[in-house]
Order: sequence, then structure tokens, then C-alpha cells
Amino acid sequence: MRAALVIAGKDLRQRLRDRSAIVIGLVAPIAIAALMSLAFRGAETFHYTLGVVDDDHGPLATALGGVLHEPGLRQVVTTQSLPSAAAARTAVRDKTVGAALVVPTGFSAAAAAGHPAALTVVTGADNATAGSVTASIASSFVAQLNADRLSVATALAAGAPGSEAARLQSLATTLRLPLTTVDRSVGATPLKAVSYYSPGMAIFFLLFMISFTSRSYFVDRSQGMIERIRAAPVRPHEIVLGKALSVFAYGIVSLGIIALVTTAAFGADWGDPLAAGALCVALVVAVVTLATLVMAVARTQRQAEGISAVLVFGLALLGGNFVFLSAAPPIMRNLALGTPNGWALRGFTDLATLGGGLRTVAVPIAAILSFSAVAGGLSALLATKAVRS
Amino acid sequence: MGDDVLRCDRLRRTFGARVAVDDVSFRLAPGEVYGLLGPNGAGKTTTIKMVCGLLDPDGGTVTIGGRPARDDLSVRRMVGYVPQDVALYPDLTATENLAFLGRLYHLRGRELAARIDEALELTDLASRGGDRVDSFSGGMKRRLNIAAGLLHHPALLVLDEPTVGVDPQSRHAILERVDSFGRTGMSVLYTTHYMEEAERVCDRVGIIDHGRLIAEGTRRELVAELGQKDRIELAADGDLETLAAACRRTGGVERASVADGTVQLVAADGRRTLPAVIEAAEHAGVPVRSVDVTEPDLEAVFLHLTGTALRE
Repeated sequence: MRAALVIAGKDLRQRLRDRSAIVIGLVAPIAIAALMSLAFRGAETFHYTLGVVDDDHGPLATALGGVLHEPGLRQVVTTQSLPSAAAARTAVRDKTVGAALVVPTGFSAAAAAGHPAALTVVTGADNATAGSVTASIASSFVAQLNADRLSVATALAAGAPGSEAARLQSLATTLRLPLTTVDRSVGATPLKAVSYYSPGMAIFFLLFMISFTSRSYFVDRSQGMIERIRAAPVRPHEIVLGKALSVFAYGIVSLGIIALVTTAAFGADWGDPLAAGALCVALVVAVVTLATLVMAVARTQRQAEGISAVLVFGLALLGGNFVFLSAAPPIMRNLALGTPNGWALRGFTDLATLGGGLRTVAVPIAAILSFSAVAGGLSALLATKAVRS
Repeated sequence: MGDDVLRCDRLRRTFGARVAVDDVSFRLAPGEVYGLLGPNGAGKTTTIKMVCGLLDPDGGTVTIGGRPARDDLSVRRMVGYVPQDVALYPDLTATENLAFLGRLYHLRGRELAARIDEALELTDLASRGGDRVDSFSGGMKRRLNIAAGLLHHPALLVLDEPTVGVDPQSRHAILERVDSFGRTGMSVLYTTHYMEEAERVCDRVGIIDHGRLIAEGTRRELVAELGQKDRIELAADGDLETLAAACRRTGGVERASVADGTVQLVAADGRRTLPAVIEAAEHAGVPVRSVDVTEPDLEAVFLHLTGTALRE
């Protein structure tokens, strides 16, 4: 164990002296997490400006205005009055509004007379979501209107006097369609982009330790240092353990600093410190076992670099370090659970949205440690053999 | 002998079908400098790696300080290994390299610092301890490579061709140091394919070729094996292999081989044989340009024993 600590100390000294390691371990993840958070800021909650053209000036146009200012919609839509349909098209094209709704001249009168009338939704090709939401609002309003008309017609057909028609119509407009959906969010807090991409990027760059460590081993070997160390009173497994300890220490410190900086500077939420720390430790253990496995399997430095590159980018892509997994197709979400970084991201997401402590991340930690046990068992077997030979 | 620092008995090591070391036995007494002399690929490095525990022998035993070397880590503290290629971290300073290796040999604190100073002093690098190794010249790296092997005061220093690729001045400095190690009581196992080095620094020499130790003794003992023979070196214009073949057919010539742009001969009586050799060269169409008849040396011994020159 003493020799392993000596080797780990030396490796850490070399790594800290290597500026590229500092850049990749600390500067790059913080910078990219900040950039991605900026890029995706607002993507967590949807909101747009809706242009409204009132050429009707009738009661239905007024009623539609009332609907658009209801509290439920105010979180999603801000309205802006526009003078004409042409102005609405220009505003959508210029992106000053996300979409527009045109209430045509005589819309209220046509509805009262029982003639067909249409609301026009103006949408832009680059903001399909705003177009869809506007169309839904318009459809919902028309459905309510038709329901009102149906209820008045039903009352009249049932024998209500014709003189009551106006009063019934007024009464019907105060009624609402029954609610068909109820929002019951599982997460207590919405997930902010910075709270996803901070651990996402920290983990992605942590995966580069696989490449650094295996390369360092093969450089040591080509410089004759592994042989020189083996000639000393050192057992082969102590050399492997020393390399692993240096990765572990560096990985923990790197994740810790990134968590502190992104929390303080960008408001990232890593969740309960103890639970986040436990998740970090489990993940770094997985990275250590993967680095050792590459050392054991590769025969040359070039092979190690190739295997590491495939592993790093494969895990990052599958694990969801670059994209919100919640927005990914189900197959991607399932594949992510085959990777330690995918489980770690799930853990950090749960901590940021559900809150809680160690219990929240118990399953992700168990999954990562199971992965590490398999990779670690294989690498312990093969790496000691590789160093000996 | 019970007080041998190193004892190798019937060492054997194969790599696939190739036998790298075959039935090699030798001993080193305390303070003795023992040279393993042989051409490249003779089995010197394989032997050394078995001595240092870096390779397991297929057969035979290595005993260091009376204890079997295999799987006994404490035995390794008795051995200082200086590999053939410089094995140091270029991005660490000389002192950091020595401190790292010293800690692996359980040195620490003041003792470690004192040993580092001593090793740097001994290899004339005291003023460069704080400099990174990648700023060193080739000769300085070689000296630091040796310093790293001396750090823990080993009873046995193993030097694997320490002067390969070194300028003459550094080479001289290294040989002077090796010469002094024996006088301090440290045993040295020294491999080389340079006959002059073996003659200069080694108390005894083992000649190794094709994995077998074919002769062993002091320089005087080995040369005496040749009897009253002489070593003749011919410089000539033309096909030297043809000249060597012609010489072999000449009476009195026992061995002939091409090395370093000359033809090397071992003859029973150099002065008597020489006229016949020159005549044979003329007949072969490779006229002799110059002749040098010398007392036998280890080169002649090697030629006599193997039929080939050391650097052929």
C-alpha cells in the first residue's frame, strides 16, 4: 500500500504540472457547462408573444381576449395587439411575435347567425411550438363556442321560449368545458439547464481520465519506468493501485471544484451535498475501473488511445451528457441506463428535481457500483497480469 | 560459497522456441566487479532481468545475499538496477526522480535527502538537482540513471550497458565511477559488448554468446587460455569476407573474422604466419593495406572461442 501511495503522489504531481490536465479537468467543463446553460436558458419553460388582430370588435373577440388573459395561459402567452392581418404576417416573419391570431371582421355576427366563420392562426416555420399552442388555444375557444351554441339550441328545442334565447346565450358563455387534464408534476422543482449540464459536462470531462491514465501507464512503460519500479520492492498490483488512486483523487477534486464553481457562479443545483458526494465517489470508482481495464486490455499506447476515445465518446453519447435525456426517445433513455454516467446523470437530475438525500440516489449508486464491480473485477485480473508481463 | 553477493545457478530462459539463456551459472563476491561480455542478443539483458526479478527463469535459481530472489521483495532492496535505456521521468527534476525512487526503496525524511545529495554528488550532478531531466544532456541523463540505482546503497549494482550512446567524456566519467564502486565494497554486475570496458573495469569477465556462458575468469586467465597466440588485425581494400576466407585456409591461422572494417585473426605465431597471410591475400585479390600484430586481448579470446568478432 505504501508503494501505491508513493506512485499515486508522483502521478498527481505530474498531472498537476500538466496544464492540459488542468484545462480538461476544470476549465473546460466549467466553461462548456456555462455556455450550454446559456444556450438552453428558457428551454426549461416555454413562453412566447402572441399577436392578436381584432377586426371583429364583437363580443366573441372580447371573450377570446378574456381567455388569453386567464391565469393558466398567462404563464405561456403574452399578447400583443396588432392592427391588421398583414401586420400579423410581418410580425411573425420578423419574429417580433411567435405566432398571431386573427379574429376576422363579422366573426361574432356570423357565429350569432349560425353561419360558418373561421379564426386564422399565423405561424412561422421556425417556431412550430408557438404555432401549435396558438392553434390549440383557437380550437379550444371554438369548441367552447360550439358547446355554447349547442346548449342554447338544446334549450330552445326543449321548449324554452324564443325570447329567452339571448339570456340563455349569455348564460352559456359563462360556462366552461369540463377539464380533461390535470397537471400533477412529479418533480417538485423544474430542472434548470445549468443543473443538468454542470454535472453533464463535469462527468464528460471526467471520462477523459480513462484516456489520461492509460496513456500515462504506456508512457511510463515506454520510458522504462514500469520496469524500473518493478525492480524495486514493489508488487505488480501496487503499481496498478497507485495509478488508480491518483485517478480517484484527481476525479474527486475535479468534480468537487466544478460543483462548487457552477453552484456559486451559475446557480446550478447539484442537490444534497452528501448525496451528490456519494454519487461522485461511485462515478469516480467506475472511471477508475474503466481506466484500469483499458490499461489491461491494450497492448500499445496507440491501442489505449483508440479504445479510450471510443469509450469516452460512446459513454458520453449513450449516457446523455450532451442532450436532455428527458427529451430523448425511450430507446436512448434505456440505453443510458447501461452506462455509469447515464445513471449518475439520472441521480443528479433526481436530486435537483425531487430533492431528498441518499435515498434519492440509492438506486443510481447501486447501479454504478454494480457496473464498477464487473469492470473492476476484470481489470484487477488482467491489469496485474499485464504489469507483470 | 556462503558469502557470495550473487549466485546464478544453471539459469535458463526461453521465448517461444528461442533459447535466450541456456545453463548460465556465475557468482559475485562482495566488492567484485563482474562483466558479462557478449555481442548484442547474446543473452546479457535477459540474464540481468532474471537477476533483478523482472523475468522468471524457466530453470535454475538466482540467490542474492544467500536468499532466493524469486518472489522475495526484501531481496530487491539489496539490488540497484540501472537499465540499458535511461528510465527517468523527463517532466520531473533530478531530485524529484530520485526522491520518488528512493521512497519505493523505503527511504524517507532526512535519510532520503542525504542519499539524494550523495547520489547527485557521486555522479557530478549536485548543481543540477533542481532542473528537469528533459533539460539534461544524454550523458547527464545516463549519470542520473546510475545515481538512481545507487540511492539505497545496494549490495549489488546491476548495470546494463550503461555507456551505450554516450559521448567519450561521459563514458570515461561513468567508467571511473564504476571502477570506484568495487573499492567501496559494492558488487557490480556489468554487461557490455565493448571489450575495452570489460578489460578496464571488471575484476572477472564471463563471455556469453548465444545464451551460453562460454568462458569465465580474470582477463589474465582468459587470455592465458589462448596460450602463445597472437591477434592480427588486417586492413585491406576489397571484399573482406573473401580475405577472411583466404586467411582461414592459411596454415597457422586458427580464427578469422570481419569486424569494424578489418579482418581479425588469431594465429599460433603471428610473426611466422604473417607472410603466408599476406600472400594468401594477394592470391585472393584483396591486397593488405596495413597489419597490426598485438598481444592477445579479450577480443582475441572471444574470436578464438566463437569464431566471430565481438562486434561482427
